[in-house]
Amino acid sequence: MAAEAKIDQKVFSPPLQPIISLRGITKRFPGVIALDHINMDIYPGTIHALLGENGAGKSTLVKILYGIYTPDEGEILINNEPVTFTSPMDAMMHGIVMVSQSPQVIDRLTIAENLILSLKRYGYFATLGRIAREIRAIAKEFNVKLDPNIEVWKLSYTQKQIVEFIRAMLLGAKVILIDEALTYLPIEEKKRFYEFIKNFKERGGTVILITHKIYEALDIADMITVLRRGKNVGTLTRQEADIDKVRRLMFGERSKEITYERLPPGNPNGDLLEIKDLWVRGDFGEYAVQGVSLKVRRGEVFAIAGVAGNGQKELIQAVVRIRPYDRGKIVLEGVDLKDKSTYYLRVNGVGYIPDLPARYGVSIENTIVENIAVLPTYARGLIDWEKIRNLALKLIKEFEIKTPSPDTPVKFLSGGNIMKVLVARELNTATKLLVAYNPTRALDEATAIKVRKIIKDKVRSQGIGALIASEDLDEIFQIADRIAVMNSGRIVGVFDAEKAKREEVEKLMVM
Amino acid sequence: MIIVRRVKPLPYWVVPVLALIIGILVAIIILYGISGGQIPPSDVLVSIGQGFLQPHLLAMTFILLSIVGVGLLVSFKGAIWNIGGEGQIYMGAMVTVWVVLFSPIAMMPGLLGAFTMKITYLILAMILGGFWAFLSAIPRAYLNLDEVPITLMMNYIAYYIVDILVRGPWHERKYGYLRTPTIPENSWFRTMVIRTKGQIIATTLSMELLIIMIVIFFVAWFLLRYTTIGLYIKVLGNNPNLLKSSGINVKLIILLALTISGAIIGIVGAGYVAGITHNLSYPVEEKSAQYGYTGILVAWLSMLELIAIPVAAYIIAALYNAGINMQILGAGGAAVVNVFIGSILITYTALIMISEYKVKFVIKRRRG
Ligand SMILES: Nc1ncnc2c1ncn2[C@@H]1O[C@H](COP(=O)(O)OP(=O)(O)O)[C@@H](O)[C@H]1O
Ligand SMILES: [Mg+2]
Repeated sequence: MAAEAKIDQKVFSPPLQPIISLRGITKRFPGVIALDHINMDIYPGTIHALLGENGAGKSTLVKILYGIYTPDEGEILINNEPVTFTSPMDAMMHGIVMVSQSPQVIDRLTIAENLILSLKRYGYFATLGRIAREIRAIAKEFNVKLDPNIEVWKLSYTQKQIVEFIRAMLLGAKVILIDEALTYLPIEEKKRFYEFIKNFKERGGTVILITHKIYEALDIADMITVLRRGKNVGTLTRQEADIDKVRRLMFGERSKEITYERLPPGNPNGDLLEIKDLWVRGDFGEYAVQGVSLKVRRGEVFAIAGVAGNGQKELIQAVVRIRPYDRGKIVLEGVDLKDKSTYYLRVNGVGYIPDLPARYGVSIENTIVENIAVLPTYARGLIDWEKIRNLALKLIKEFEIKTPSPDTPVKFLSGGNIMKVLVARELNTATKLLVAYNPTRALDEATAIKVRKIIKDKVRSQGIGALIASEDLDEIFQIADRIAVMNSGRIVGVFDAEKAKREEVEKLMVM
Repeated sequence: MIIVRRVKPLPYWVVPVLALIIGILVAIIILYGISGGQIPPSDVLVSIGQGFLQPHLLAMTFILLSIVGVGLLVSFKGAIWNIGGEGQIYMGAMVTVWVVLFSPIAMMPGLLGAFTMKITYLILAMILGGFWAFLSAIPRAYLNLDEVPITLMMNYIAYYIVDILVRGPWHERKYGYLRTPTIPENSWFRTMVIRTKGQIIATTLSMELLIIMIVIFFVAWFLLRYTTIGLYIKVLGNNPNLLKSSGINVKLIILLALTISGAIIGIVGAGYVAGITHNLSYPVEEKSAQYGYTGILVAWLSMLELIAIPVAAYIIAALYNAGINMQILGAGGAAVVNVFIGSILITYTALIMISEYKVKFVIKRRRG
């Protein structure tokens, strides 16, 4: 077979039979080859990381393994037997279960009810009592208390992700597919998931883990396969892999641009945004932000470090006026925002990159152009489609967004490219202030660094101000001019980025 | 042979076209069955064929259903399910009767010319239809209550209001019927009569209503294509959170989507009274042509594509017409139309679900 000749990767050959083998898997979508004759072996009892830049084909590959897509060419072997998966049911029969990024649960039902339903769909029956016992047992492994009889809407995102894992366990998963399902988890909680995955592996389970954090892959994976433009460009064992090698495989030439050096400082010049003694309530009525005061100057990046769930989200949402605040003041260029709406901010040059982009930042059924036109910054009353289309083309080029056309519905883009659409639009909108929460979390390393550079350039050359909350300290130290640490709803320290020490910041974060 | 989930959806016209063909076949079988073989398939097919080939007879139904379809499409695009077309139609009809019979204008005949009179009641029908929809939009926008039961209940309230007027203050006392007086002829939408070689063919086509329909199409097309409100309505149907973080007032867009929808449909009320019935009779629920409900089928069959609305409306109007032809043939009563529409709707619903999957043939290779 011609495809066989193409593989040049070093093949790891443990004494074991692979549990899953892919042979010449190819998948085309209109205008792109998402997977180009992929060969790959997955060994039982290993954590196999799948790396690749945004749009490399990772999601497509696991969707094929899960029976969501069928390959155009090639075959899948399970324990050396060819199989055809045409639905997740088939994959499930072979013990393959996917943990999804957006939890598939019904909010009104309890955890136990949800799980019973999904088991039923796959032809398993269980009693509420048994399910409840299992849920408690598995939750214990995560070191969390999870009441099986609580309605799902009361759960945090992390807890919902745990429910996803519990579902996989109940289904008797032998192979778990994790497609960036941990991307949006706070770092601390992510670690707990990794512990859990390791446990699962030690008991003989197999994991295919998609992530774009190379360090995480190096930390936890036994094997690493890198995809690039739909091709398998290399499979490495943990011993063979190091950060530079993986980066080179992932990004080729672009890997040279990867650096975590501090970006050139801004040139602060006058107050832009002032927050005074701000109190903001969280989703459950508690005060998530408790008397925060800070000032963002023109020409600087003011970064907020902190472990997720310490009020950053609520603070950011209050600043862009999509969450009300009880007390305190937010002043932009001397204008009190109390009676101003998000609309006012948008037409006055405030860009906003929300957390969970697909949920709050784009409408995936609409095209790229429409996703831009929806901002009142670009169209009011009548829409000049020609103008917005040209802007879209410019942004697609500048941010290297992989899409057949600006009129493609966003849902056909890969996750990272969706994020790029959002980031590109908001950076273009921010002629005065950029407000962001984890702006690069869904992006691959090279793109993330590029986005940081663009933000910093804009801050330096156009004198905009940026208020960026992030859980990623690498990001904070790379981009910030000043660093504030947020803990339990309060700012517990502000540093000049030049003088800030990482240990000190970390200490304040978890204090 | 295997069945897999579709990656790319089918072209949008496939499902409605299949639904029509299969639906009609199902209807033929049902009619054959329940009539004990009294309604042969050939009669049904001939009636349907004739139904389609009589544009002059189905013109009125076609025009009014098209307008309802466009009105519903505006709200459906925003995932706001306006089931209240009937109520909005009757509010439009009510105000039309009021304008030409009971308003201060009506008290002074000759004050307004026929044209101004028509413009007046059309505008008021829009306002009333829009207002009626707006009332249902308030609980949807501010309390996040499901608009389906609310718009539906508003239909009955509209029926009752009109019933009260027809039996009470607006009751024509001349004859024994429970109805309003007939509106003066100069306020009618006149249907065309074609004279050729001594032959006279009556049609149901009103040029005025046709022009109104074309204008409405153009306005709706422009709204959805070139205005931010149109875009916001479409985004509302997909991800309201994006509207929020873009600084768009989501509640306002919900109110607008339903109100615009109701305003367009209100016009049908004016067209219905001035073009077909020329009065309102009690009980309206039984007398109603139910365009508000049939329009839902038109909107669905169009797959929410504006250009497909007239096609869908023509087809449904033709089936109405076919039903009438069958009555003339003596094959079944008015319910025949409902058999057609019911079969198509059920087939359509089934096909929509199936259409997410496709059948694929693969050759399983054994390794070796
Ligand atoms: N359903 C689809 N329709 C069209 N194109 C798709 C579809 N799914 C993925 N693609 C394209 O295939 C390529 C690979 O996407 P994906 O597997 O999601 O990448 P990633 O490695 O980021 O997960 C991208 O160019 C993407 O735009
Ligand atoms: Mg992906």
